[in-house]
Amino acid sequence: MNNFLMNQLRRHDLVPIVLLWLAAATPLAVAKDPPVDSDSADASVVGSAPLSYSRDIRPILSENCFACHGFDKSAREADLRLDIRQGAVDDGEVIEAGASGSSTLIERITSADPDERMPPAESGHDLSAEQIQKLRRWIDEGAVYETHWAFVAPSRDSALSQTPDVKGQIANPIDRLVQARLADIGVEQSPPAGVDTLIRRVSLDLIGLPPSVAEIAAFETASAIDSDAAYSALVDRLLSSDHYGERWGRWWLDQARYADSHGYSVDGARRIWLFRDWVIKALNDDMPFDQFTIEQLAGDLLPDATDWQKVATGFHRNTQINQEGGIDREQFRIDSVVDRVGTTGTVWLGLTVGCAQCHDHKFDPLTQKDFYQLFAFLNNQDEPSLTVFPNGVDGDELKAQQKRLQSEQQAIIERTADQVSGWESSLDDTAKKALSAATSKALAIDAKKRKTNQRWDLLKGSGILVDGPVGDSVDAAEMIDQQLSSLSTELSKGVSTMVLADRSTPRETKILIKGDFTRPSDIVQPGTPTVLHQLQAEAELATRLDLARWIVSPENPLTARVISNRIWQQYFGRGLVETDNDFGLQGTSPTHPQLLDWLAIELQQSGWSLKDLHRKIVSSRTYRQSSKVRQDLTDVDPLNIYLGRQNRLRLDAEIVRDVGLVASGLFSPKFGGPPVYPPIPAGVMTLGQQRKTWTASRGDDRYRRGLYTFVYRATPPPSLNVFDAPDGLASCTQRLRSNTPLQALTLLNDLSFFEFAQALRVIIDQEGLEIAFQRCTSRRPTADELALLKTLDPLNAARALLNLDETINRE
Amino acid sequence: MTQNKRNREMSSVALQESTRRHFFSQCSTGVGSIALASLLADRRLGAEPIAPTTNPLEPKVAHFPAKAKNVIFLFMAGGPSQLETFDYKPKLNELSGQPIPQSFIEGKRFAFMGSSHRTDLLGFRPKFKQCGQDGTWVSDYLPHTGKIVDDLSIVKTCSTDLFNHAPAKLFMNTGTGLFGRPSLGAWTTYGLGSECDNLPGFVVLQSGPRGPRGGAMHWTSGVLPTTYQGVPLRNQGDPILNLSTPGSISEVQQRQLVDTIRDLNLKRLVETGDQEISTRINAYEMAYRMQTSAPELMDTADESQATMDAYGIKDANESSYARNCLLARRLVQRGVRFVQLYHTNWDHHGGANENLETHLPAICKEIDKSTAALIQDLKQSGLLDETLVIWGGEFGRTPMGEVRKSTGRNHHIDAFTMWFAGGGMKPGTVYGETDEFGFAPVDKGCHVRDIHATILHQLGLDHEKLSVRFQGLDVRLTGVEKAHVLQDIIA
Repeated sequence: MNNFLMNQLRRHDLVPIVLLWLAAATPLAVAKDPPVDSDSADASVVGSAPLSYSRDIRPILSENCFACHGFDKSAREADLRLDIRQGAVDDGEVIEAGASGSSTLIERITSADPDERMPPAESGHDLSAEQIQKLRRWIDEGAVYETHWAFVAPSRDSALSQTPDVKGQIANPIDRLVQARLADIGVEQSPPAGVDTLIRRVSLDLIGLPPSVAEIAAFETASAIDSDAAYSALVDRLLSSDHYGERWGRWWLDQARYADSHGYSVDGARRIWLFRDWVIKALNDDMPFDQFTIEQLAGDLLPDATDWQKVATGFHRNTQINQEGGIDREQFRIDSVVDRVGTTGTVWLGLTVGCAQCHDHKFDPLTQKDFYQLFAFLNNQDEPSLTVFPNGVDGDELKAQQKRLQSEQQAIIERTADQVSGWESSLDDTAKKALSAATSKALAIDAKKRKTNQRWDLLKGSGILVDGPVGDSVDAAEMIDQQLSSLSTELSKGVSTMVLADRSTPRETKILIKGDFTRPSDIVQPGTPTVLHQLQAEAELATRLDLARWIVSPENPLTARVISNRIWQQYFGRGLVETDNDFGLQGTSPTHPQLLDWLAIELQQSGWSLKDLHRKIVSSRTYRQSSKVRQDLTDVDPLNIYLGRQNRLRLDAEIVRDVGLVASGLFSPKFGGPPVYPPIPAGVMTLGQQRKTWTASRGDDRYRRGLYTFVYRATPPPSLNVFDAPDGLASCTQRLRSNTPLQALTLLNDLSFFEFAQALRVIIDQEGLEIAFQRCTSRRPTADELALLKTLDPLNAARALLNLDETINRE
Repeated sequence: MTQNKRNREMSSVALQESTRRHFFSQCSTGVGSIALASLLADRRLGAEPIAPTTNPLEPKVAHFPAKAKNVIFLFMAGGPSQLETFDYKPKLNELSGQPIPQSFIEGKRFAFMGSSHRTDLLGFRPKFKQCGQDGTWVSDYLPHTGKIVDDLSIVKTCSTDLFNHAPAKLFMNTGTGLFGRPSLGAWTTYGLGSECDNLPGFVVLQSGPRGPRGGAMHWTSGVLPTTYQGVPLRNQGDPILNLSTPGSISEVQQRQLVDTIRDLNLKRLVETGDQEISTRINAYEMAYRMQTSAPELMDTADESQATMDAYGIKDANESSYARNCLLARRLVQRGVRFVQLYHTNWDHHGGANENLETHLPAICKEIDKSTAALIQDLKQSGLLDETLVIWGGEFGRTPMGEVRKSTGRNHHIDAFTMWFAGGGMKPGTVYGETDEFGFAPVDKGCHVRDIHATILHQLGLDHEKLSVRFQGLDVRLTGVEKAHVLQDIIA
């Protein structure tokens, strides 16, 4: 190795890692909002209540100290760790509990000597006077450490579930908990949203489609009589609609990184839509979330696994496959397993497990070994395709029948082989001309190279088969032909999909130094992170099934919280834990910890029913309140963290399309099946390495819901991409909501949206502007609005309606 | 988000004032501005402040004073050979056909290891000439580039981590081989916004027989909002997707439509107080302006014949690298922040349509004249001072030959050449030296992340501060490993 490389390496080793991991957020690059607890934390400094480690101290230490004095042993400086009491108080002796004045920690963070002062200047970190004051007080109060909240099982106050008997009191615990926090900041919740806003909101949220004009009218009538009963009936109707599975299926498919191509540069098409249909159906059936989890992670390992349970394992086949020439396949196989580990951590545990691929986690108690133990669960698979047949059809039996017939056919061919060759050599040119096309074709092929079907054609054309029902007869041959043909028709109804299957001999898993697959070191066995509950394995070598059961174990403090939070996030645009995919020490604390725990426990106690959780949330007053911006609220809670109102949210990309389809009356409610090809602008598919064909679907398939559109990962459909549809490259747990000129161009000029406008124009002509307006926004226009629209011709009025901000938002 | 935060800190009086100012300044060009003004003077506004129109691409203040305002990245997709262009290694011709000493390749991995990879050195065909004031070696495949060598900062010791096309291209664009991370152009517009209010801030142009491997991932905004993603300007059909008005809708109708949408949206803004609506109003105005400004950009009729000749554009409507170079100049002239040109195919393995004998000289000829013309044109118009031009591919080629149908070279990641011009770089410099075969750096190495750090630095951005939080990590263009600004090539 030359000097230069040596220098590079040395320099690299000396990099102050703290700097790299904790770049101070500059105003320029701030992408997150200030910590939500800052107000209450400030209050607690001056107040008399003792400080809480989790709320007040840990964020300070995590942000400023843990990178060098935390969990990662290899990055630890001075052999000192501050993330546990043992390290700070007993081993390191830098904290003297109850005596900040004689604690080295305080001495170092307040030192005037730049060589002594912590954190070091080059880290870019600096403690404020207020932070130092908090640390002092916390030490004086005894330096009590607490386990990170997310690693402690959820708990709840039993009083919460008692239903008050007096009408008018707040029955729903969600509302009680939200209103308690609002009372702290001295504001009240907003009034309920109007009837039309409400039916539009809950329809879009539960089924991803706007209500019809008739449904709005019926709801208005019913609400006038008994608003609660009408709303409850509406929610029931929506939850039992098959469209529910499509709307929430897409939510899950985002997390599953589902798309219809292999990704990377070649990005060939793949077939895995049965997995998409599996997700939609499972949600429509309200499959308990624990079972939903187990089947996706390890459906193939269940006793007597059905094909349908195996289809579910497509979850982890949604990784990319590199079809480029000259690659090292093992490298990309490893990459896909790494993705599976990271995705499992993100989706179910809300932990950034992927951070431990190259080194121990800097902030969370996850070692690199933990990562590779999880890796070992997911390293033992082959990646086959499975052909699934329609209900009641036994594909294996069909294949066995086919095989039997084929061997029967072969036997006849062999028995008559000599006769056929004798016949063949007897043929003169005239006789040859009289033969059928199939026979002539077979005859033209060299005798040694003929395939079974050609020999069969020849035999049939030779006249050697005898008439009659027995022996090598014409009837027998016809029977075989007929049966083979009907079998092949039946077999062609099978749909192939990508699944997981365990290898008979497991691969050995080794820790990869710095995550580099060319640098394997110690062997590890399948196992789960030690910071969490114990793994129960059935056999000595734990399997994926054990992992799946471990994830949905009642002892797991994370999964029910993570899922409840992610569902909450869909309804309010922000989770109770804002970092929905990071419940670790660097994540944000829950704004309403009790509420989060209540939801998590309800989810588990309802037998993991997602529909039940949806019903509880959408039934709350918190969900049903108006989303209008209120100045009094904005003054104290500008980001609406405490939910003094609903949030107005831009619809997801697919639903922007769906609303256009429904409003214009073109919508095709067809369910499931192969992905479809709505029109896209010419030339889009030539952008990648390989040009793809995209023949626009005709008939119903042209007007299917956005979630059925074929998605090439490297060249995604522009009208979905422009509205932030995820690309299927990594698990997406929270969509961005951008607002751009290209979105405007799409709604104004895109061929599909123009088709919608043309159809809506017919509705304007036939039913009037008011109805068209209502189909787009679910409300009646004001006189002013109608007057504005009437300045346009009907086609442009239709375009205006489809372009309204209100049409692509839910309020 | 930053904008939002800043807004919250403004007093409500200032908010109202800025709302008015903003609407008037942004929308005064439109036919409907009078109607808009009267709507704004409407009842509610005085009583209840509305958040100002937010444009996520509004110009932002850099971390420190910038040397460059704009970037033109000439991406030579496929991996151009440094050994036939800028890295002159006579020893290769002396030892051509002999195996490269084992010490060079011990423990190394290459693409096509199991098939066409070879370990014998291969000589080069072009003649090298010493060009410019300092006698910099440039091959005679690039005679025009040779003439502008005094304007260039040539870096001979670039290295990357990945040896397959798509991952390596991603690495050059996003600092990682993973799909779905923000690209250089997206980081730039995220950091600096855009000074152009009628074209996107980040524009991509393509030429050559096929698109770059990896497609739209190379100009993705990744984990940043799609506001920042690159917009391909197409040579066929609409230059920007959905740019032209559909059906037989006239321009007047389209303007009336956009005005009506704005008026209706404004009513909803007043009704709901949701400032995202004002962002959308702004987006429609920009979209409408783009409908005029993008075709105007593409129409080069106002360029002189002398300019067309200098760039080597034979037909004003042809889709070519030459025309894309001219468009790049027109784009930065209009204030577009980041322009990226892709030209394929530089993947000279020795197979059909990709050998060193004929195809490499041919593609060099395709780009040479126009590239030099672009630099000279920018220089003459004074734009070069504020525009950083970058030339290079995702990796280089091995000193060892590859034998397929004819001769070629395999992918090589340890040393390859890129050059920079303008934008505060030091002209007429050569940075770094490679060994006798051009296999690896012997002096002043330069990793892709150093290149990224340097580009951001010229734009006034600190690569360690420009970040976004994603899945528990502060994602940065330069990643977690230390990156260095190449001070030696900065003026």
